[in-house]
Amino acid sequence: MADSLADSLADSLADSLADPLIYARAVHFGATMLVAGAVLFAVFIAAPAWRGAAGNSAVAIKVRARLAVIAWIGLALAAIAGAVWLVLTAAAMSGRPAAQVFGDGVLWTVLSQTTFGRAWLTRFALACALAATLPALLAPRDRKSPWLEITAAILAAAFAGALAWSGHAAGGLGDEAIIHPAADVLHLIAAAAWVGALLPLIVLFAAAGADDASLTMARTATTRFSVLGIASVGTLLVTGIVNTYYLAGSVPALLHTDYGRLLLIKIALFLAMVAIATVNRFRLTPQLLQQNNIAASRDALRQLRRNAAIEALAGAIVIAIVAALGTMPPAIHAAHQHPTYGAVPADAAFVHIHLVEGMADVTVMPGRTGRARAIIRLWDEDFEALEARQVSLTLTGPGATGKPTTLPAVQRRDGAWQVDGIALSAPGNWTVSVDVALDANKRLTLIAPIVIEPGP
Amino acid sequence: MRKFFLLVSLFLIPLAPVAARAHAFLDHASPLVGSTVAAAPHEVVMTFTQNLEPAFSTAQVTDSSGARVDQGKAQVSGNTMTVGLKALAPGSYKVHWHALSVDTHTTEGAFTFHVGGH
Repeated sequence: MADSLADSLADSLADSLADPLIYARAVHFGATMLVAGAVLFAVFIAAPAWRGAAGNSAVAIKVRARLAVIAWIGLALAAIAGAVWLVLTAAAMSGRPAAQVFGDGVLWTVLSQTTFGRAWLTRFALACALAATLPALLAPRDRKSPWLEITAAILAAAFAGALAWSGHAAGGLGDEAIIHPAADVLHLIAAAAWVGALLPLIVLFAAAGADDASLTMARTATTRFSVLGIASVGTLLVTGIVNTYYLAGSVPALLHTDYGRLLLIKIALFLAMVAIATVNRFRLTPQLLQQNNIAASRDALRQLRRNAAIEALAGAIVIAIVAALGTMPPAIHAAHQHPTYGAVPADAAFVHIHLVEGMADVTVMPGRTGRARAIIRLWDEDFEALEARQVSLTLTGPGATGKPTTLPAVQRRDGAWQVDGIALSAPGNWTVSVDVALDANKRLTLIAPIVIEPGP
Repeated sequence: MRKFFLLVSLFLIPLAPVAARAHAFLDHASPLVGSTVAAAPHEVVMTFTQNLEPAFSTAQVTDSSGARVDQGKAQVSGNTMTVGLKALAPGSYKVHWHALSVDTHTTEGAFTFHVGGH
């Protein structure tokens, strides 16, 4: 059993890995996290860490220069992978080979007339605006205005958050159309602020020398990062639960679909990252902050740097998983297959009765003359189990002589309704009528013919 | 730490079956899927489980000989797709739909309905 589950996931992953779309998405997501994380780190962590005397120290200048390199590389990779993603998506949408989307205005139709395209254009504009703030924001010398910092932070958050409209979160109806994208936007911003800021944090730790000024800077940065980290983890947890609710929908869907299992691996990695972050927060950070033992502080700094690297690696794997998940059908679909069609016994008579208000699957076993039992499963129009207060089954035999017999149904533990002791007197075309009491004054009657075979 | 994992588990447990979907699937149609209608309909209206992209969502209706009986391009509004029909004689008709959801994924399917007869 476990082997076959693993095989299925492996097959599904192999299929996914053959799809270039995954690589474009993974690089774009990673690069987006990197550029947004570098900017958010510069504004909320690095800037306060060297405010004052350390603002133009050698180490601050070095860190800013490296943050600038990370941000520019991230932006460039995001632009290249984003362009590839657009072309591949346009090809998939139009059903043409990727090389042909440039002709016939396909690319422009995608950009101007689809949610994905409009989100792409919006994010392209945000990336350009963000690029315009980078030279000043990450200039080696500290001469930034708070306005520039706030603008850059908002642009970085928007650039990451607007990714929500490029995927599964965009598709909902009703309440989901508001709650799901909102949760996804917050999820993406929190991910950028935490996972995207890990590499900048490592850079800062690496640049910190043995001097006291460096240690002070590292302490301030660690304290602020830990506040940002706790806020991000809390946001990721809550919004992750909302997203899981919409995309997986049930525990069986999580356990029994490839999408669900890959999502569980992602959640496990997230929890491992949180476990490391907890050690950082409650053991290493206090050790770093204690003023009277420099050697212990340095040791803590070294361990924090190593842990941040492990977290960043786990974060990269999470991003790759997210890239794959977006191309797979969400687990929620599996729960919506006709659950009984595959499970009708060979000797049973079966009928599916479909009305707008509800549906019933009626299985009569055995489906031949003699004593029989009927199982009735009720669904609403969305194939969700339909709650009923009382159900009865009326069977009418074939021909003019057939007299209707009404029998009460008893609800089983699995939610289906069962009718025992049915006497099927003659073979032929019978009529089944399922009478459902939904509530005190709402009834639903579903009627259909069903064929009963001659007995043995 | 243990408290934290307990908290996470508590958050995850209420994820019992819920009503939610992703990707655009046919929810219901008029005429109803598989139904027999007495009078020839003037259009087929399909309601999907997600909003559709009008630019890349299409539907074709064919009669039993495979000839097109729809009026051409389907109209999409939100999560409904409507395709006009020519005057239909009694018989069986097949509706083949191709939907692009706003979440970028395509789905397709087909169903039949019958006009007149029994």
